[in-house]
Amino acid sequence: MTKSSSKENHTIFLLTVGLLAWLIPGAGHLMIKENKRALIIFVTIILTFCAGLYVGSIGIINPSGAKPWYVAQIMNSPVVAALGYLAQKGDYAVFGKPNEIGQIYTSIAGLLNLLCIVNAVYLAHLCKIETAGDSKCP
Amino acid sequence: MSITDALVMATFTVPEKITTDPQSLLWLLPLVAAIAIVYKATKLPEIKIVNFVKESVVLFGSIVVFMFVTALVLYFIAWLIIE
Repeated sequence: MTKSSSKENHTIFLLTVGLLAWLIPGAGHLMIKENKRALIIFVTIILTFCAGLYVGSIGIINPSGAKPWYVAQIMNSPVVAALGYLAQKGDYAVFGKPNEIGQIYTSIAGLLNLLCIVNAVYLAHLCKIETAGDSKCP
Repeated sequence: MSITDALVMATFTVPEKITTDPQSLLWLLPLVAAIAIVYKATKLPEIKIVNFVKESVVLFGSIVVFMFVTALVLYFIAWLIIE
C-alpha cells in the first residue's frame, strides 16, 4: 500500500468514527474498541436527552423559533432533525420553566456528545499513530 | 397504536408541570452528574469502575460547591447593591 493511499484510508477511518459517534452516541468509541467508554457515553447522553424531552415534550425542539438551542440539540444525533420536523407539524407548544429546563438538558446532552465525537476521533487518530497501523486498531 | 405506545408517546408530547420555586434549582443536579460522568469517560486514560466512580463523584462535588459559592457571592453583591 502506498503512503498516500494509507493516509487517505486513515482520513476515511477518522471521518467514519466521527460520523458514527454523531449517529449514535458512543458508537465512535465502540468502533475503536473502547467498549466501556461507549456504554457510559451512550447511557448518559441518551438519559439526559430523554430527561429533557420528558420535562419539556418534543415541543422544545424548535428549528425555527429557537435556532441556537437547535444547533446544540442536533449534535445528539440526526434523529433530532426528525423530531424537530414532527414537533413543527404538530401542536406541541411549551413555555416557561419546562421549556427552559428541557432545552438546557437536551442542548447540554448535544454538547456533551460533541465532546465525545471529538474525543473518539482523537483517540482513533492516536490509536493509529501509536500502533503505526498495527492490528490493535480496526 | 397500543395503549402502552400511546402512554409512552404522551409522556414526551405533554410538558411536565414545574413551578419557579427554589426546589426547581434541584434540576441542576442530574445535569451536573451527566456532565461529570461524560467528561470523566472521555478524560480517564483507563476506565476502572471504582476509580471512575470516585473521579466522577469528586468532579460532581467540585462543580456543585463552586456553583454554591458563586451563588453566595452573587447574593452578597445583590445584597450590597440593594441595602
